[in-house]
Amino acid sequence: MADSVSSACKPSVERTPLNATSFQKKTRNKLLSIPGTRLSVQNGQLLVSTGVTSLDYLLGGGLAVGTVLLIEEDYYDSYSRMILKYFLAEGVVCRHELFLAAAQDHPNDIFQELPDPILDDVAIRKSADQPRLSCEPQDGLDAMKIAWRYQNLPKVQSALASSSRFGHYYDVSKTMEPEIRQAAKCHHFYLPEHPSQSSATHSPMLESYSALLKSIEEVICREGFNVSASMTKSRNILRIGLHSLGSPLWGDDLCCRDDPKHSHALTTFLYGLRALLRSSLSVAVVTVPSHLIQRRSLMGSIIRLCDNAIALESFKGSERKTSPLCKDYHGLLHVRQVPYLNCLASQLPDHKDLAFKIKRKQFSIERLHLPPDLSETVSRVSRAELAGAATVASACGSGNKHLDF
Amino acid sequence: MLHDLLQGLDAGGFLIIQDSCSYSGRRLLWSFIKAALNRAEVVHVLSFEVSEDELKNGLQESPIERLHFHNAYSDPLGWTSRGAFTVDQFCVERVAQLAKQSSRVKPPILVIDSLSWVLRHVSPPAVCKTLQQLKNGGFVGNLISLLHSDMHPRGMVGSLCQLATSVITVAAGGDQAKITRRLKSGKVLQDEELFSIKDDLTVVGQSKPSRADPQEQEADPTANLTFNLRLSDTERDAKEKLALPFVFSKEKKAALLHTSSGRIVYEPDANDDYDQEDPDDDLDV
Repeated sequence: MADSVSSACKPSVERTPLNATSFQKKTRNKLLSIPGTRLSVQNGQLLVSTGVTSLDYLLGGGLAVGTVLLIEEDYYDSYSRMILKYFLAEGVVCRHELFLAAAQDHPNDIFQELPDPILDDVAIRKSADQPRLSCEPQDGLDAMKIAWRYQNLPKVQSALASSSRFGHYYDVSKTMEPEIRQAAKCHHFYLPEHPSQSSATHSPMLESYSALLKSIEEVICREGFNVSASMTKSRNILRIGLHSLGSPLWGDDLCCRDDPKHSHALTTFLYGLRALLRSSLSVAVVTVPSHLIQRRSLMGSIIRLCDNAIALESFKGSERKTSPLCKDYHGLLHVRQVPYLNCLASQLPDHKDLAFKIKRKQFSIERLHLPPDLSETVSRVSRAELAGAATVASACGSGNKHLDF
Repeated sequence: MLHDLLQGLDAGGFLIIQDSCSYSGRRLLWSFIKAALNRAEVVHVLSFEVSEDELKNGLQESPIERLHFHNAYSDPLGWTSRGAFTVDQFCVERVAQLAKQSSRVKPPILVIDSLSWVLRHVSPPAVCKTLQQLKNGGFVGNLISLLHSDMHPRGMVGSLCQLATSVITVAAGGDQAKITRRLKSGKVLQDEELFSIKDDLTVVGQSKPSRADPQEQEADPTANLTFNLRLSDTERDAKEKLALPFVFSKEKKAALLHTSSGRIVYEPDANDDYDQEDPDDDLDV
């Protein structure tokens, strides 16, 4: 991907109406300047944010353009779906194009659930008249009792301009407003809308996967994401989200049987997908319900065929109910694979025990550590046993015996 | 949560009752049928494992006129081609046709007894696709089905439970049910309940199993002290009314916020000794 990035092109600068200066930063002609991307400091790849800043850090700064991120779903598919929505929402905010394929829910339903970005400097198109700042605090004076000096600090509202930040934060409790969402171009592929045609050639791929691959290829060619396409118009990134590949709704019995008949369907599809991505300016996020796949060797080959791979394990579906970690975190995150792209060694995260929790405004991934045990017993006893021996919980909550001085 | 499910599923809901050979979930399935009939809803039963007489004997004293029985028990594989429902007919078109036989405004409830039978003879991806289309196409209002979890590999049971909106697993012993509900907002609720089914198929929920963690009660920190830390109501009012320092009047706040004119507004505090006389007046410098 690095040699294709270095092809000559004119830098494209978006002239915004409110941009007061005519200053244009002198960039080297060799680099593409696409909004929402930056260059990796490790290997010079063009990176795109996944929408979750802590995940960007784990993957070495971001997702490299032309690669696939595989997410192994958690048991109820709640957190992997959340990450897919963050990925698509980041595409809307950076004004990339989106492609979403799903077999279970209609992609438009997923598009309507995208989280709301927290904007201070990302612009949204508000109504034409700017609110007059002097009359605003009349209602607000009673609202702020102590911090009233900060009432008038304005929220920056300008016309639509691309954001210069890499990685944004999203508020999960609200959904993205339709005006912002409709500003981005979205393509979708919903499997029940494509009736299965029996293919003439006997290919190891299923018809559903062939149809999906054809649809992605058609979008890439038509919208000009090919690297070899003409450089006259400004370049953009295509973000591809594929939900729950390998589940029975795609026609694949990978999850249902212990020795599936179509064992090579998904792997052939991933091979073709990666070939398409390497020759175009696109990124893909694929979620696979790996907890249903019984053959671990198959899961291993699926991981090898994708560049980045992470696995989510939520505490809700697993048997570790009594662990004291359940209180602080929502699940564990395992990084299965980080790619070597045009370099000898990749940047692996230095701690392997990671846990995630989803707060309202942030999806945070942290290093796992057990909280300090404040009870008198020195050995680390599990919370269930402590609860059985408890008399009265002290105010600090975790210790169950009074600290005796 | 079991009672909420018995009152009715949301539109497009799919309930799976998982049982095993040690305890059959069929009586629980019949209690769901009875609750639906009592709610004046039309129920279609597609029965592969149970004959019509046995079902009707089990459901005595229920309003049976709203129950439509489709016989897939006598000849499911179509050996004698006598016109009963065969397992190859388990596809969207045929099942939707069955459901349309009762001409009511609201789409009926479809009960499948059991899905395991269908999965033995039809490929699982096709079954999943049919169930998904039935759920989303509006042909049936709700789907309730029985699944024998020990007859299938774990992956197949798991992939069917991914399609379902609610799963009830009947544990061995016959009185413990693990319930998982997936709400439309994406939230997942889990619960464990003890229940028993009486002879007339009503479900009686018993107290939760004692394995649940005892709730931690935080001791009231103001309780056992030698001094009084509590506030009475009048004291609380007085506390709210107390004027904080550096809280300015409204005009002063407004003036400070719009400091474009550069005016200085001074309000003498209670402690300020505002003496008009300048003490330096008599300095002779």
